Formats: sequence, C-alpha cells, structure tokens
Amino acid sequence: MKRWLLLGLLVCSGAQAADDLVARGKYLTILGDCAACHTRKDGPELAGGVPLDSGFGTIYSRNITPDVQTGIGGWTADQFYRAMHSGRSADGSHLYPAFPYPYFTHMTRADDDAIFAYLKTVPAVSYKPPPNKLPFPLNIRGLMSIWNALYFTQGEYKPDPARSAAWNRGAYLVTGLGHCGGCHTPKDWLMGDENDRALSGGVVEHWFAADLTGNTRGGLASWSANDTIEYLKTGRNARATASGPMGEVAELSTSQTSDADLAAIAEYIKSLAPSAQKQPSAPDPAAMHSGEAIFVDACASCHLAGGKGQPYLFPPLAGNASVQGSDPTTIVRLVLDGSRSPSTAARPTPNAMPAFGWKLDDRQVADVVTYVRNSWGNAGEPVEAGAVAKLRKR
Amino acid sequence: MPPSDFTRRNVLATGTAGLALAQAVKADTYQSDPKLPPAETDRPAAADPLHGYVFFSTAEASFIEAALARLIPKDELGPGAVEAGVAVFIDRQLAGPYGQGDHFYLKGPFPKSEPTQGWQAPKPAEVYRQAIPAVERYAKDSAGASFAQLSPEKQDTVLKALESGDAKLKGGVEAKTFFALLLQNTMEGFFSDPLYGGNRDMAGWKLIGFPGARYNNRPYVLRHGERYPLPPVAIGGRPDWSRS
Repeated sequence: MKRWLLLGLLVCSGAQAADDLVARGKYLTILGDCAACHTRKDGPELAGGVPLDSGFGTIYSRNITPDVQTGIGGWTADQFYRAMHSGRSADGSHLYPAFPYPYFTHMTRADDDAIFAYLKTVPAVSYKPPPNKLPFPLNIRGLMSIWNALYFTQGEYKPDPARSAAWNRGAYLVTGLGHCGGCHTPKDWLMGDENDRALSGGVVEHWFAADLTGNTRGGLASWSANDTIEYLKTGRNARATASGPMGEVAELSTSQTSDADLAAIAEYIKSLAPSAQKQPSAPDPAAMHSGEAIFVDACASCHLAGGKGQPYLFPPLAGNASVQGSDPTTIVRLVLDGSRSPSTAARPTPNAMPAFGWKLDDRQVADVVTYVRNSWGNAGEPVEAGAVAKLRKR
Repeated sequence: MPPSDFTRRNVLATGTAGLALAQAVKADTYQSDPKLPPAETDRPAAADPLHGYVFFSTAEASFIEAALARLIPKDELGPGAVEAGVAVFIDRQLAGPYGQGDHFYLKGPFPKSEPTQGWQAPKPAEVYRQAIPAVERYAKDSAGASFAQLSPEKQDTVLKALESGDAKLKGGVEAKTFFALLLQNTMEGFFSDPLYGGNRDMAGWKLIGFPGARYNNRPYVLRHGERYPLPPVAIGGRPDWSRS
C-alpha cells in the first residue's frame, strides 16, 4: 500500500512538473512574441506563413506547431535547442536570421526546453508556408555561414556579477528572448546589427523603432523605470503611446509579461548609455511658418497649444522621444496614416489618431513634422518632402 | 388626416410603404470591437474641381448664374454667390445623391399631404429641371425677355413673384417650392466647405466671421470680449498651410 502511494505521489509530482514546464514555456513563448511572426492574421496559432521583409526579399515563417509533416512535431529537444542556439534547422541547414537566433542564442537550455515543451501542446496544424522569395545568391542557405561569421556570436548569456540580479535578468530578456534589438538596433547594409550602437533605434518595415538609450532627445532619458514598466504593461504612459509594430508587441507580448520581469527589463534599459547625439540643422523658417499653421489648425485640437498633450490620451509632443527621433519615419507615418493604440487588459479601449495623408501634401506633412520636431524645446533634423513621398509610396 | 380617410385601403397602402421602407434602410452597426483602421478615416468626397457643369445645360446655367447674382450679389463687402462658385456647388449637388433624392422616400402612396409632412415634391434635380424652363416662360410672358436678359430690377420682380407664389408656373412645379429650394441651396453653397465647390476662398465665412473647421476652440472659450485671432480654415486647409 505504502509503495503504491509513493508511486502515485511520484507520478503526480511528475505531472505537476510537466505542467509547470509547459506553463513556463507558454509564458516564454508570449514574452518572445513568437506569434508576431509565426501566426498569420486570423490564421491558426503558430502555423507560420507570415511574410517577413528581410530587406532583400520575402521570407515566410515556419510552421512551429507539432504537426509531424509540416511543423516541428518530428523535432527533438536537442534539435530545437540547436535552432535557437545556433540557427540551424533540424537537418542542420542554416536558418535565415529573420529568425532571431542571434538573440535567442543567449537563452538557457532550460528556457528553450520549456518553450519546446509548450510548442508540443499547441494544436497541430498541417500547413506548409509558401516558399521564400529570395534572389540569387541569397537563396543559398549555406551562404548564411558567411553572414554568421560576420555577425553571429554564439553563446548563452553570461551574467555580470557587478550588476544586480534584476539587471542581469533584464539584460538576459532584452538581448535574448525579447530580441528587442531586432527592431531597436540599427542594421548595416547586410542587415547585421551595428552592435556598437545597440538599441539606439532602427528602421524596420517602414517604422522607426525608437532609441531606447539614455539619449536626451530621441532616447528615453526622461523616462523613469516606472514609465517603461507602465508603457510595456499597458501600451501607453503619460509620455507616449505605442504605435505600429510596437503596439502589436504591447498587445501580444509585453502586456502579459510579469511585473518582476518588466521591472528587470526597465532597470536594464534605464542603464543604457546615451547614444551619440548630432546637432540637427536649423529648420527653414518657411517650413516652420506653414508647419505652425497646420499644427494650430489640425493638431492642436488634441495635442494642445505648446504640444502639451493630454497625458495617457494624446501624447505630449514637447519633449517626446519619437518626435525627436534620429529618424522621422514613425512620426511621418503617424501623420500620414494615423494610428490606433493597442488594447491591453489595463487599457482596453484604444485611442485613435486620424490619418492626415489625404488632406496634406508631401510638403505640408514635411513642414508640420519639421515644426513639431523643432518647437517647444524639441530639436530634430528637418524633414524633406521627398522623404514623405517615399513613405507614401511604400 | 380626417377619420373618414382612415380606410382599409389607406392602412394597407401605408403598411406596404412601411415594409418597403424597412427593406430600403440599411444601418451601419458597430459590433463590440469597433474595427476602425485609422487609415480609413472618412474622407469627404470633394467636388470635381474641373470647371464646367455636370448637371446644368447651358440654358439652365445661364438662369442659375443670373439668379444667384441677385440672391447674393457681389458688393463692397466681398464676392457674391457667383464669384464664390455657388453655381458649381449646386450643379454638383444636383448631379449627386442629394439631387437624385437618395435621402428621400420616393415611393407611393402619394395621398394629399400637409405642409408639416416635409418634402412633398419630386427629387431636387427634377424640381430644377422642370422649374427653370417654366420660370423662363414666366419671365418672357411677364417681363418680355429671358431671365438673364432682364435688368436687375426686373429680375428681382420675377424672383419676388416666385417667392410669394404670385407667379403661376406652367408644368406643375410650384413657384414657392422652387424658390425656397434655390435660396436654400444658394445659402448652402455660399457657406459650405470649399471642398464642395462653393464658398470659394472661404468668401462666405470671411463675410460673417466664421472660423471654419477647427475641431477644438477650447483656448478661446473663456476669453470674452476679445476678437478670435485665427483666420478661417477649411477641411482642405488655408493659404498659410502652403509655403508662399
């Protein structure tokens, strides 16, 4: 009798441990925002087929459901770890770095195993994504070994003993699973990270992912750690509202990240040394004049005179990091296309900014953006009409 | 409606009309999650900026322009209805859904109605089409020339006869109905956003000091006794929006 009881306990605790592993894997899968690239809009969960613009051609994400034929149902935990850690597929062939293994390599085997255990539990979907559309020679996967030699440093994250446990946890998440640098670190011409300028802002899919360093204009110098936590948790704070891809990240991922992990991420980001700051050129007075007229008539209704805004509703433009970003892509797009803030548990009702692209011509968009980038203490490189035209045609 | 009209036939006919109405009306409904992609902001359909008339024939246009010049004449205060493009505004309105009566229930039955029951004439485009030749005939009969050829004083006499209903028009259109519609459309054209063809250079708004299409005037609400400092702005902007 006693022996049976003991065995039962062991089985139960084994099942409990497996449940815990899957639950942790699910948490990590959400934190890594796997769905952003692996779940099509209104498509089956994690079945892949999302077209990703690699900068050179279209790469379609893999089916990572446990379907044996089309997914990763036939993979072992070792193969999964190798994919995450070394960027190799089950057969050993190279994966393209559109799959962010240069970041995932920093993760621990334990975390990769948890994610793998969770992926085994999602519904298996038989779906084969379309073939990639890459030009020769990039369609040769073996060439990625050259790219890896240039840009890829394999290895798990090594904690810095001089820093706090929270800082190390934040660094682990930001540079690893969170793969924040995938958008926020500038890329060179081969789409490799410019690591000496890590997290200082980058252009991805015609959005500018903001400078996360302590830069006083385009960066987050004025944000407290709590500002960052609130932004990631709710999709907005008193200074800014997430838009574009970051809105999706907030909705799908960071709003579901634990408070402890958000605090760790915020502590790490707050420690980032300011990126280099260039003195912008002086704006053309004619641009400032027409820009002011447009601002007064079209923008000040919500963002108010002086760009003061309404915290949590209409982001203040004075002192705003995105507005003064080293690249104006995001702010130009917001004026052209408008935006809708993410819906999160804490902030379920989205705010929207209307589109102005239909009533402002390229020159007018450039002038109003130049005006807000250079008023009320703001400073940012003036925007030319040609840059607006390019974004309109994208 | 007197009780004697309350017949089975009327009730049935009205019921049928109600059914037809229920079929014709289609309301936009928003579900709990309003999918309103920001880029799809309702963009107003601007009037075709090209010159020339879409609805009016040359003869009709000549009457309209002459009548507009009397309803809101150009004077020392600024441009009149003609200069402000009101003829183009009315032309585009009549060619579009408004002129075609898309906002009216236009099916039978057509019992004798009371004035309080709203619009009781054909669709606006039809009213203009029928009335203008009838007014021209009235002008020739009563003043001896087509309306555009008359002196301003005689034109005013004709317009006043239309307004009072003293002018009896041939062809079934009521003079009062037509005049009221023309005056209404003229004011609409003079004060609508320039996007729709009239109120050119915001002439109507400048005349009366209307500030235009600013969403929010909160900074000025409590500043009594001061002149509102901003020039008028239209949906499409104002001259200051573009570099000179």
